[in-house]
Amino acid sequence: MELNIYAYKCKRCGEIHYPYKTICKKCGENDHNEFEIVPLPKKGKLLTFTILHNPPSDYEVPTISLGIVELEGGQRITGQLNIKNPKIGMNVEGKIEVVRKEAYNKHLGMVFYQA
Amino acid sequence: MREVYVAGIGITSFTRLEYPLVEIAAYPGLMALRDSGLKKIDQLYVANMGSGRVNAQTGLASAVVDHLSLTPAGAVTIENGPASGASAIKEGFMAIASGMHDVVMVIGAERMREVNQLEATDFVATLTHPLAEYIYGVTLPSLAGMFARLYMEKYGVTSRHLAMVAVKNHHNAMDNFYAHLHEEITLEGILDSPEASTNNPYVADPLRFYDMCPVSDGGACLILTTAEVMKKINKPMIRIAGIGQATDTHAVHERKDPTDLLAVREAARQSFEMAKVKPQDVDVAELHDAFTILEIAESEEVGFFKKGEGHIALEKGETKIGGKIPINPSGGLKAKGHPVGATGVGQAHEIVLQLRGEAKKRQMQNAKIGFTCNFGGFGNNVVCLTFIKEK
Ligand SMILES: [Zn+2]
Repeated sequence: MELNIYAYKCKRCGEIHYPYKTICKKCGENDHNEFEIVPLPKKGKLLTFTILHNPPSDYEVPTISLGIVELEGGQRITGQLNIKNPKIGMNVEGKIEVVRKEAYNKHLGMVFYQA
Repeated sequence: MREVYVAGIGITSFTRLEYPLVEIAAYPGLMALRDSGLKKIDQLYVANMGSGRVNAQTGLASAVVDHLSLTPAGAVTIENGPASGASAIKEGFMAIASGMHDVVMVIGAERMREVNQLEATDFVATLTHPLAEYIYGVTLPSLAGMFARLYMEKYGVTSRHLAMVAVKNHHNAMDNFYAHLHEEITLEGILDSPEASTNNPYVADPLRFYDMCPVSDGGACLILTTAEVMKKINKPMIRIAGIGQATDTHAVHERKDPTDLLAVREAARQSFEMAKVKPQDVDVAELHDAFTILEIAESEEVGFFKKGEGHIALEKGETKIGGKIPINPSGGLKAKGHPVGATGVGQAHEIVLQLRGEAKKRQMQNAKIGFTCNFGGFGNNVVCLTFIKEK
């Protein structure tokens, strides 16, 4: 099964939310059952990024790269980058991978590679 | 609404403090009582962000009111991220303006150095969106790094401009006894010399070590009261004339333009409108420079300069003490320090000193209108205050 990050599409007006909200930001729909779960696209353009040299202590690596990506369709997502020399505007493609490990828990999230 | 004045002020050094949080909160309270000559209060607000997590202490205001032997006055703790301080001032203002209380003490206090730097950063990172940001390892410096990269690309701001903010604020802090960093720095030392890459390593590229505020302990206090009480105590009439507060999306990526600080713009607009003044009327300001880029961006969003021109004003020296609009004469968060929950009260403390004419070497001559911007999260909760000195 293909792993995805899911967004929340308002059944009334079609507005897509990521992350989840209780009330639609566009039409004010306030019944959460009125959201349809849709997978976010994985291809997009890198909007901005940083290389963090003091990542949180549970990351046992010297640096992590983080970026905001504008996905096909216009939704945006914050994710990790696995790219040597990231540049603003470059095409990227995401994969769902482990992005943070805690003692008894692993978090999956979007990791972007050069497309 | 009744008008609200600052009757007394107090502050601790913003640094590493080796005494308990409750005392970090109580000492500025004691100083402010002495400064005002008042002995009793109706209500205490204590702004603090992390006592439950960092200091394993909850119900801070109840502990502080007892420590100051001010019981049975009402006491409430306010946690609103790094904007807790100015948020507590807003609560104090409303309590007096409404007629509910006559004398209100507002304290901001934080003791972050009880844990190490990484734990402190991780504690502040709990402000980020738990599912859309935090799980990726996003911290406040990383959001600032991503913001800065786009801002620099868009508006022609360079690392040199960022370093100029740091040099200016470190210089201002040299004359502030209570500042965390008493360390004069130069562009040569942090940018141009061969040693610069060691002196000033990258933290959240493009932001470097000297683009970040230190992790500080500290407390500050304002006692607020009515015009009637002010008549009895013979202190300068510093009025809180305007308060604005606004919010923005929790996850930064949801903002239409990630270089926009909408909540800063809106909070400043409300504050100026309420005070019936314009940004250009402001004589002295304290902006929330947790990262150097933020001083530049906020100086534009609050209306001192046009969007994209803050760094040019900085270059011209307009934001120095003695310039057109001095920004962060205290040293700002960059050099005065950033004990998160205390910061907004600390900013107000500096503005009251400036308007009273008590800021000594860093005094802006004849300052009559002062302004603060207290920035919570990464700009998702912002409180701006306008102060006016009356004759
Ligand atoms: Zn809708």
